[in-house]
Amino acid sequence: MRRIAAICWLAVVVLNVCYAGISIIRGLPLQTNILSLLPSEEQDHVVQQAKDLVTRELMQRIVLLVSHEDPAQARSAAALIQDGLISKGFLLSVVDVPSMERIKELGSVYFPYRSGLLSDGDREVLQQGRGDDIVRRSLSQVYGFSGTVDGRLIARDPFLLFPAFLNSLPVPMSKLRLDDGFLSTHEDGKTNILLTGILSDDSASLTFQRKLIPQLDQMIASVPDVSVLRLGAIFFAYSSANLALSETAVLSFVSLGASFLLLILAFRSARPLFLAMLAIGVGMTCALSLCLVWFGEIHVAAQLFGASLIGVAVDYALIYFGQAFCLHHNVDQRLRRVFPGLLLGMLTTVIGYATLALSPFPGLHQVALFSCVGLIASFLTVVLWFPYFDRLQFLSLPVRMRRIATSLWQFWSHTRFSSARFFVFVGFIVLCISGYARIFTDDDIRNQQSLNAGLLLQQSEIVRIAGFSQSNQFFIVQGDNTESVMRLEERLADRLAVEVNSGRLVNFVSPSRFVPSAERQEQNRQLVYSQLLKERLQAYKEQIGLDAVILDERSDYLGLERVLGVGAFGFMPKLVLFNSSAGVGHIVVLEGVRDPRSLRMLANDIPGIRFVDPTADYSSLFAVYRQRALVLIFVSAGLMFPALAWRYGWGGGLRVTLPPVLALVLTPACMALLGQPFTFFSAMALVLVLSMGVDYAVFCAEDSGSEDPAVLISVALAMLTALLSFGMLAMSVTAAVKSFGLTMAIGLPLAYLLAPIGGKAGIVSRRVERG
Amino acid sequence: MRRFAFSAYLLLATFAVHAQTGTLKNGEVLRGRFVQERFLVGFSKPVVSEGSFALLPGFGLIWQAESPFPVMTVITGNGLVQSVDGSETARLTASRLPFLPRLYDMLSGALTGNLLALENEFSVTSAADGRFMRLRLEPKRADAASALAIVSLDIFIDRFVERVEILKPGGDRDRLIFKNQILHKGEPTNAELRALGAAK
Repeated sequence: MRRIAAICWLAVVVLNVCYAGISIIRGLPLQTNILSLLPSEEQDHVVQQAKDLVTRELMQRIVLLVSHEDPAQARSAAALIQDGLISKGFLLSVVDVPSMERIKELGSVYFPYRSGLLSDGDREVLQQGRGDDIVRRSLSQVYGFSGTVDGRLIARDPFLLFPAFLNSLPVPMSKLRLDDGFLSTHEDGKTNILLTGILSDDSASLTFQRKLIPQLDQMIASVPDVSVLRLGAIFFAYSSANLALSETAVLSFVSLGASFLLLILAFRSARPLFLAMLAIGVGMTCALSLCLVWFGEIHVAAQLFGASLIGVAVDYALIYFGQAFCLHHNVDQRLRRVFPGLLLGMLTTVIGYATLALSPFPGLHQVALFSCVGLIASFLTVVLWFPYFDRLQFLSLPVRMRRIATSLWQFWSHTRFSSARFFVFVGFIVLCISGYARIFTDDDIRNQQSLNAGLLLQQSEIVRIAGFSQSNQFFIVQGDNTESVMRLEERLADRLAVEVNSGRLVNFVSPSRFVPSAERQEQNRQLVYSQLLKERLQAYKEQIGLDAVILDERSDYLGLERVLGVGAFGFMPKLVLFNSSAGVGHIVVLEGVRDPRSLRMLANDIPGIRFVDPTADYSSLFAVYRQRALVLIFVSAGLMFPALAWRYGWGGGLRVTLPPVLALVLTPACMALLGQPFTFFSAMALVLVLSMGVDYAVFCAEDSGSEDPAVLISVALAMLTALLSFGMLAMSVTAAVKSFGLTMAIGLPLAYLLAPIGGKAGIVSRRVERG
Repeated sequence: MRRFAFSAYLLLATFAVHAQTGTLKNGEVLRGRFVQERFLVGFSKPVVSEGSFALLPGFGLIWQAESPFPVMTVITGNGLVQSVDGSETARLTASRLPFLPRLYDMLSGALTGNLLALENEFSVTSAADGRFMRLRLEPKRADAASALAIVSLDIFIDRFVERVEILKPGGDRDRLIFKNQILHKGEPTNAELRALGAAK
């Protein structure tokens, strides 16, 4: 029966190896988007839709700033790079550069409605009854240097309100101007040309990144002396992916190396090493294969965390071969002896990892599946294949190790250590009080990732030179129809203007700034008539010698769809979130947000307007889910307990649960004393401390009170390998990963040192069995 | 906006022509008087203004109309600012004005006697016209003519530019007559620096 099971398992493993092998040859579909790790639990689908739209817009955009002292060289380098990116199919479109034809068409759409189109400044001046200021400005343009207006325009727009309106349109990237088809700016003797484009493929796809970025580097290298700054999610994602992959490689190497070294030193034979490698290899391959089948791709973060699985998978091999230290167990008895412990350990650890799947983070779902499959596969390899290959004979433990292990057993069981144990528990209480008094949390998503410093510097340079400062915060304006939405936007705009004037906001872009609502167009017409045409036109005409005027006498109003139809500005259609019989939703894009709180408050009392701050929302989510993760720990413990109670009885179950629970309580206190914040990722790591801690306690409990030092040595080897792999995560430059690793690095040794407390549960179990 | 680009072309042409007669260097300031006559379609009489100007290489142009309506126009690489009695009435930034900054870059070439940049955009013909040398500049490309709102530009040169006549697509004409032009050596005055500073 066992032989049939082993052969079946071989068939399953061969299938998995083939599938994983083919996937690797074809190119692993690696996912690098950090946002895909995050939940999309937005309750309001409109807000979620807007977030997705804005996020997609920002994620898929790249910006390059090409600079050279010679404008012609800068332009030719920009053209070369732009044409190269388009011809190789990397860019879908080049944005933000309206052609002269489009600008003319826009002018011809606006012009017939000019009397209803006022700049905010002119409108305010007229509302204040300062029509003379407008007259003075008109005179200055008529008499100024060579005149900036012509006779035909003056006859049709005598107070030159239309050019002022056009000049006030909120075109993004305020420092740039259109020059020979390129958005350019000059600074410090250099011509800077901004290229912006929308990527043709997913910016988070590592395959696409690996195609685009080397090609772009090559293009840049082909224009020496030209400096090119870059900005875009794809560059950050590529850098982070490379960092994660190199970290994965280092982690795997150190973890494997240390684990192998431990095995050779402990067992003085290569066989356990090769068999442990077999268990790990089967675990990793099956995990990768099933992840690809289930998700269709694998996230680099899942790979990174998955690499740590090596440290856990090797535990089963260690516990199995640890039996070689026991005098009474030959090769045939080993499996029978360790099977209950391995099975229970595997089940509890899988429950711990599976709990990750209950979290709302899609990336952790991959980690959960990867880990559970990997652990089960490693377990099956150990129990089904190891007995056929195991030739290891009895090994004597070094005396010093035996003594240390025996002391640890005795410390938790002998009455002569009662006082010491009392002081240790008092120490725990003091540690908890001082630690929890200092504990602090950090849920800010910006602090959880590590962004390439060089790219950040380039980003700030581009923002400074180009005036490119779009924030990811925005407003959603909703109403029954376009007119009502535009009116709401205008109410909002009045308030945002105050924010701009006070320096808390650089600029904002909304559809109503391009086309006022019909109501406002009518108000503007009334203002122009009462403040200028009626009272001041005649005197003005006489002063400059103008014979006659041809005024706009349209009775209808300019509609937003007319301006959208021109397609002069690529960003404009994206400001209309939806327009259907169910209602209309617009987005108001913000630039240079310096005080999000004041903007949030500003929208609170206008029904139909909502402020959306995805970064703050994600940070809030982290806070909520940090709390949920703590609940997950209790859920996890609750799910493990029935299995433990079944094996050890209620009291024994509680005794086995005590060591990991103590480790759980002590770890955050220790982190606080080290000045480390408690984050969502710390909480998730605690779930694993619980499951692995239960493992250690189970192995001790399976000792049945004999206090065999070999058991504690085996568990120590298991803990050390896990510590080496998870402890390495604490060295990561990514704060989230570091937080996870540090929690494990503190929690696992604590769980090990406390694990012998569970030893007595085995005695209870045997009594139950005997009874 | 197009009209402003045209103005900039005029400015450039003026500088370029100075370069024909003697390169204007940094540390020199050309100051003088002007009469500007604008013949606008739909106007019963030309719009005439008089005033003074100062051309400062590396800084910009200050164009001070004094009568009948006092208005100062300052043009720099950053754009154009107009003010009346010290109060700003209009500001057009370079970002809103296609062509101007590029022309402003070309300015340095023109100041050093390099007409190549101009010749990229215009066909330049020269002929004797009485005591003047007359240069005619016409945009080479139709789209450029449309964008610049200029049909032709005639520059009459003696020692300095004496007169400029501009013909625009809609039938408008401008005539600029320069008088009392003196090339000063030395730094700009404080008032000039203030005016240029306000345009930044």
